[in-house]
Amino acid sequence: MTSNTTRRPGELAFTLFLAVVSLFLLWTAFGISGFEALSSPGAVPMATTFAMLATALIVAVKTARRPAAADEKLGRDVLPPLVFVFALFLLAYALLLKPLGFLPTSALFLVGSVKILSGRGWGFAVGVSALSLLVIYVLFRIVFTVLMPAGIVPEGEILQALRGLFGAGR
Amino acid sequence: METLAAFFTVWADPKLFALVAVGTFAGIYIGAIPGLSVTMAVSILISFTFSWDVNPAIALMIGIFMGGVYGGSRTAILLNIPGAPSAIATALDGYPMAQRGEAGEAIGITTVMSFIGGFAGIIVLAVAAPVVSDFALSFQPRDYMLLAVLGLLLVGSLASGSLVKGIFAGALGLMLGTVGMDPLTFTERFTFEIPLLQSGISFIAVMIGLFGVSEALTQLHQIDKAAVRQSIDRIVPSWSTVRKHLPLSMQTSAIGVFIGALPGTGGDIAALLAYDHAKRVTRNPERAFGDGAIEGLVAPETANNAAVGGAFIPMMTLGIPGDAVTAIMIGALFIHGLNPGPMLMVEKPDMFWFIVGALVLANFCMLLFGLTGIRLFVKIVEMPRAVMVPLILLLSVVGAYAVNNSITDVYWMLGFGVFGYFLKLYGYPLGPIILGVILSRLLDDNWRRAIISERESLPAFFHGLVTSPLSLVLFLSVIFIFVSQTPLWKRWRRGRTGPARPPAEPGEPEDATLS
Amino acid sequence: MRAPLIAAAIAAVFGFGAGVSQAADYPSKEIQGIIQWGAGGSTDTVMRAVTPKAEDVLGGSIVLQNVTGGVGAIGLNQVANSDADGYTLLMGAENPLLYKVMGLGQKDYSDFVPINILARGTPILVARPDAPYDDYASMMAYIKQHPNEVKFGSTGPGGVPSVVTAMIENVEGKLPVTFVPYDGDGPALTALQGKAIDVMPAVLGAAIEGVKAGKMKPIAVFSTDKVEQLPDVKPITEADEKYGKFLPWGPFFGIFAPKGTPDDAVATLQDAFKQAADQDSFKQLMDNRGFILMNVSGKEAEDFMAKWQSNTTWLLQDAGLTKKSPEEFGIAKP
Repeated sequence: MTSNTTRRPGELAFTLFLAVVSLFLLWTAFGISGFEALSSPGAVPMATTFAMLATALIVAVKTARRPAAADEKLGRDVLPPLVFVFALFLLAYALLLKPLGFLPTSALFLVGSVKILSGRGWGFAVGVSALSLLVIYVLFRIVFTVLMPAGIVPEGEILQALRGLFGAGR
Repeated sequence: METLAAFFTVWADPKLFALVAVGTFAGIYIGAIPGLSVTMAVSILISFTFSWDVNPAIALMIGIFMGGVYGGSRTAILLNIPGAPSAIATALDGYPMAQRGEAGEAIGITTVMSFIGGFAGIIVLAVAAPVVSDFALSFQPRDYMLLAVLGLLLVGSLASGSLVKGIFAGALGLMLGTVGMDPLTFTERFTFEIPLLQSGISFIAVMIGLFGVSEALTQLHQIDKAAVRQSIDRIVPSWSTVRKHLPLSMQTSAIGVFIGALPGTGGDIAALLAYDHAKRVTRNPERAFGDGAIEGLVAPETANNAAVGGAFIPMMTLGIPGDAVTAIMIGALFIHGLNPGPMLMVEKPDMFWFIVGALVLANFCMLLFGLTGIRLFVKIVEMPRAVMVPLILLLSVVGAYAVNNSITDVYWMLGFGVFGYFLKLYGYPLGPIILGVILSRLLDDNWRRAIISERESLPAFFHGLVTSPLSLVLFLSVIFIFVSQTPLWKRWRRGRTGPARPPAEPGEPEDATLS
Repeated sequence: MRAPLIAAAIAAVFGFGAGVSQAADYPSKEIQGIIQWGAGGSTDTVMRAVTPKAEDVLGGSIVLQNVTGGVGAIGLNQVANSDADGYTLLMGAENPLLYKVMGLGQKDYSDFVPINILARGTPILVARPDAPYDDYASMMAYIKQHPNEVKFGSTGPGGVPSVVTAMIENVEGKLPVTFVPYDGDGPALTALQGKAIDVMPAVLGAAIEGVKAGKMKPIAVFSTDKVEQLPDVKPITEADEKYGKFLPWGPFFGIFAPKGTPDDAVATLQDAFKQAADQDSFKQLMDNRGFILMNVSGKEAEDFMAKWQSNTTWLLQDAGLTKKSPEEFGIAKP
């Protein structure tokens, strides 16, 4: 996937970003307890962030020395439009999950992405999404009682009503 | 005679037999789905089986435990997303095999090896539990720390491209593991005054993000390419293949049982150490490690299933949990009126042999269910990517949420997914990050305990290191493995032509751990 | 096994609760129970044992979730910030009463209504079996002769060991010992058996089996009377009567609803958990694990907690272990 002789588009910027973050984390780690004692809570964080900074700098120097890859472009090989769109999708999903609830958000996400990726009709996208969501919901929410954010759907009441019907029938 | 009767209780009673079988079957699927864990399933079963007798409750839990540890390998091989932390090493060579269309073969060998490992673990549990648990107890904080260092040296094995990038990834993982409120002193570390960061970063969330989401995003590059057709003729491995790997599987099983028996370490660390061991002792693998080596499947899968038997060793002999699952099972025994502790084996030897019997049965069930139904599983990877990619993403979200019912974990998971995508693209190995996160607590906590016990004196620490036989052996192994990696590295570098790389920093991993 | 398999499978699909048998308004949906501590811990085990019976009485289901981290503060804040409608409960231990003085959070049980305080534990001081002392007096003498050599296990500020140690320091003055931190009394007692530490103040339940098997040496129980589970172990007041003023003291487990929860919901819940904690199997479990059943709610529970908080915070304050003085939060001095 990577070439050892050339530099990929954006690689240097990414490496420098890592180095800056490492430096910031090292400074934060120092702030935990300073050089108080070998056993202080900050000792291992300082050692690890120092190793991060040192290695990030070595990588940065090596990357800077390599010539840029001539045949690769940022918008095609590193961040193609599709990946960018999906990163935005995920961001939207994360933001909507709590207010809107798990079921509506996931349904929107699944239908949207299957439609875009498959290039097939709405029927296909909706059908596949509904089926997958149902399986996931039954497994996680009902069998394993993982309470996903309910949002606008009154899940608890609906399930209780279902159980009531079921209990009455027994 | 009574021993034998207790051993066969579970075989003779159709209800118990069925519960073990159902448990194992369910366990395989629970293990395969990232975010559903054996720990979770077993703790739900505590309330669910509250009104049952103790035997059926334990039988069901044992089935799920055995099946779940094995099930993690499924998604690791097929999708490059380990279903459970103990299957991380399995993905390294299993996924390349699936990409070649050899998923069936990979699952077959994995199943047989899990069976062998599981069996080895049970045998050690049955014949040597007291000895092993006494030895495991003698591990001091210093020794746990050395074990963590030994694990960290794996960075050398996992960093396929660049060692420096591998060390960066490992250090990043160690750092991520320290985020949150320090469990020993309640000092906040890297929390930036944000309450949500107090509980730290769930390492399952990091794992799902780095493996699941970044894999899905990477697949978007080739969304139109048809999925690889999987050949499913050769599922059950031939006897000669099994025999060839038998010596290795025995060694890695031994690693698995022992790491499993240590309180505080479990199948995940066992599998990683076993992988490293296999990489060192295998002279001529048919395929390189990381590229679909069979040995790369044999080692972690024998080790993590052997760790199941191992985890029961301190539980049955001392009432000390060997891992998170046995901790809950101890609670279950309490609820059902038994008092797990050193006296359990003396007062209720039947319970011990009942558990051994159930484990043996679960192991056979795992072999049976593992080798059947592969066809259906393999079909999953032949799904069109247009459906699979969104599904992986959705499952990643649910899985990350399920771990601790926390929406923050979902944010972390997504963040690490995108971050992991770029890391992957620029040639940073992701394995060492997970390795670092897994080993972080082990290293940090025990380093501090060790140095506090020596009253902050480094000379006293090293004195203890060389005077205790156990510590000395571990310390020498660390040095040996470390040195043995360096000349190889040099030879590899000499063999290369083209632009020279700056020499790697041989002191780095040591600095990262000991300073 | 009483339930046939098929019924079990069906129950699994439709959640683990029993069907609704009452037509009462509450509960009209499932109740969420947040456990402050992780799966397999003693709080977790106790809550998972008491809940099924409470579900039967309520005629609804309670979904248990472990929300861990921040010494339990994450789970506590989650419940405190949820709607006070009776559908979110906190299943916790004693730690929240110390959050304020330990600087771990702004909320504690004063933001909650106690549904039931189930049980409380008794601390015990144990040593490794080959330690060169057998009782409290000889241990103290040894510690003074060998300053900083004896290793005490600890579990961080506010944990049971820190409170017990504060009591000892209150009576004996500063202890010249080395404190080795562990993340819970289970791992610390394991380390004790492996001789990584010498002495550990633990909860009775965690040490009973080890003591019975001779894997740990009991030094004293922190109560005014002998405990029935370990009748040979001397109470600490026999060694020094000054301990009497702190006792009885021990960690406890309880179930709480956010303040503002409707009274009828609180009453329904209190009744359900009262009955649940009253069943024989639960009593047996508590007894085996060395806990003293309390099963109290309402005013009684509030008084118990107020007294507990005042005693403990001031003890820690005097030992210099707090970040903020209890005075700042209006906690009266005992």
